[in-house]
Amino acid sequence: MRKDNFILRRYFGLAFKNLRRRPVRTALTMAGVALAVTVAVSLGGFMLGYRGAIDKSINMLGFQVMIMAKGCPYEAATMMLKGGTGLLYLPADTYAKVKSDPEIESITPIFVGVAQKQASGIRDDDTGTNFSVISGIEVPSYRIMKPWIGFKKGAGYDNGRWFGQQSRDEVVLGFEAAEYEQRKVGDSFYASITPAGQPAAVMHEFKVVGVLDRTGTQDDGTVFLPIDTAREYFGRPEQLTILGIKLKQFSSFKLREFETRWLKLPEVQVVGLQQVKNTLVSLVATAQTMIAAVAMIAVIVALIGVINTILMSVYERTSEIGIMKALGARKESIFQLIWLETVMICLVGAVAGSLAAIVGSGLVERAIKSIADLGVNGSIVRITPAVIAYAVAGAVVLGFFGGLYPAWRASSMRPVEAIGKGV
Amino acid sequence: MKDVMIEARGLERYYQRGSETVKALDGVDITIRKGEIVAILGPSGSGKTTLLNLLSCLDAPTGGTLTVGGKSVAGLSENQLVEVRRGLLGFVFQQFSLLPTLTVRENIELPLIFLGVHPDSKKTNEILAAVGLADRATHLPRELSGGQMQRVAIARALMVDPKILVADEPTGNLDKATGESIIALFKRLAAQEGLTILLTTHNPAFALEADRVITLEDGRILTDAPLARASAELSPQPLPCTP
Repeated sequence: MRKDNFILRRYFGLAFKNLRRRPVRTALTMAGVALAVTVAVSLGGFMLGYRGAIDKSINMLGFQVMIMAKGCPYEAATMMLKGGTGLLYLPADTYAKVKSDPEIESITPIFVGVAQKQASGIRDDDTGTNFSVISGIEVPSYRIMKPWIGFKKGAGYDNGRWFGQQSRDEVVLGFEAAEYEQRKVGDSFYASITPAGQPAAVMHEFKVVGVLDRTGTQDDGTVFLPIDTAREYFGRPEQLTILGIKLKQFSSFKLREFETRWLKLPEVQVVGLQQVKNTLVSLVATAQTMIAAVAMIAVIVALIGVINTILMSVYERTSEIGIMKALGARKESIFQLIWLETVMICLVGAVAGSLAAIVGSGLVERAIKSIADLGVNGSIVRITPAVIAYAVAGAVVLGFFGGLYPAWRASSMRPVEAIGKGV
Repeated sequence: MKDVMIEARGLERYYQRGSETVKALDGVDITIRKGEIVAILGPSGSGKTTLLNLLSCLDAPTGGTLTVGGKSVAGLSENQLVEVRRGLLGFVFQQFSLLPTLTVRENIELPLIFLGVHPDSKKTNEILAAVGLADRATHLPRELSGGQMQRVAIARALMVDPKILVADEPTGNLDKATGESIIALFKRLAAQEGLTILLTTHNPAFALEADRVITLEDGRILTDAPLARASAELSPQPLPCTP
């Protein structure tokens, strides 16, 4: 039955006034829906944001393929994005061998080590457990790989530059590393490095010659040294951590070809970035599934709450429904009225839940990051209009189905019986 | 007969209660003409509410024939009965049955919403004035007295221009003076608008204001008399009804 706008408005008005009749019950039911939608939107935002953060972090590496020592791909992923622990090393001559591959557009060697900071920063605590990720890089090839990297400007940061390749006492700090240590260009930076095979750490003093702009990647928290200096200080002059490679033509077929060519080296593995992305996503996939299950339970509980509320309302208004039928309301009119009430509860709850998710997204992000280090930088909860639209639409669709039974019960009442059961 | 509004022949309404068949109404013949005020009396369980429900198309008979407003309604489904009720019948109930969340104006315009008709505020105001509630349009039911609520219910029934007004114990919850004013209003509506009014009441004095009085006992008509005869028969003794 088509209704014009005026009649529809009256139906909405009737439904709204009915819901206002029991404000506490209605508010609690809406709160249940809102809570479920908050969880669903936060989860959707997390799934979207986390994938986006992984994509961004990996794209900002600048290379599509890396060669590293054989080991677990999870370690590879962690190492690449966080600096990692339990580092494995390649023979340095791998660089010379792989460099000659005709399919390579650019290649850069990276040596990663972990140094202990001693009394270097004002935030050092007494336990001395602060560590810095040190990246030894070859500046010319690194810059080709990451042309977007620039130096921070402003008072205390001007004249930032890369170190000389043979420099032994100059460092460049990533944006967050500098912020954390409160270091500017010209300041000193201290790090204790334990050379391989040595029992004691050796403290080194460096001069900060540049602070990088924020990139939103792992580079922000990194301390950069010339690769030869880093290898020497870490006692691994003939070793590398990874080789970052950009191929002239990148496809899964080309990657397989490249992989096949270099698997002949016994000590290396070729890892494509897609592989790394999949690894990282799989790291949190289980957690996401569990959260999704919780969200689903919240949605089901909320839906049961909505159905219960509307059914109670229908039973309380049995006599009124009978009167409305006596006054000429058809079955579908009663059905639409009760159904509208259900959908209104779900719609208002969904909007409130979405707003709560938006307002609370920062808290959710902090909570997730405090529970688990997901290996990516930047925002991992991204609530987009599409996520909200899906959540609100989902709640309304659930309301549509949830409202069917109470609406059917109400519309099926025979007026003569309904009036007789009046309260 | 063209002025017949309701005609029932051999009207039956049986209910099945377990293995027992309850004959709530058992072979009732009745003819009600346009503009008549008919009062139905009877003790509890006599079948007067069942008869009212059938004659007002709120329920379907299990036997016999019934014509309301020229339409045969025996055997119709609930959906079909709604279509007969719409625009033909107006209802007034003992409990007033106003929607507590709606104002007086919204309550009396409610039937139009279900008919898909835009309310005409001029007509609404006229009807409110006719029932003496012109100054109560924006009040909620809880702000009204019992008599005022019943007037709102009557106004609501009149909004759809019914041919038949059905009133189930319309004075049951009202004091004597208010009840008299409601009966006076019914008589005026019947006289001025040609409205057929069908009512049940416990009050013999109100029943005697009707054109006809039908008394029921055990699902059958005991008496069906015009006012003069009913008055003579009923006046010496209490009416066979229960409070």
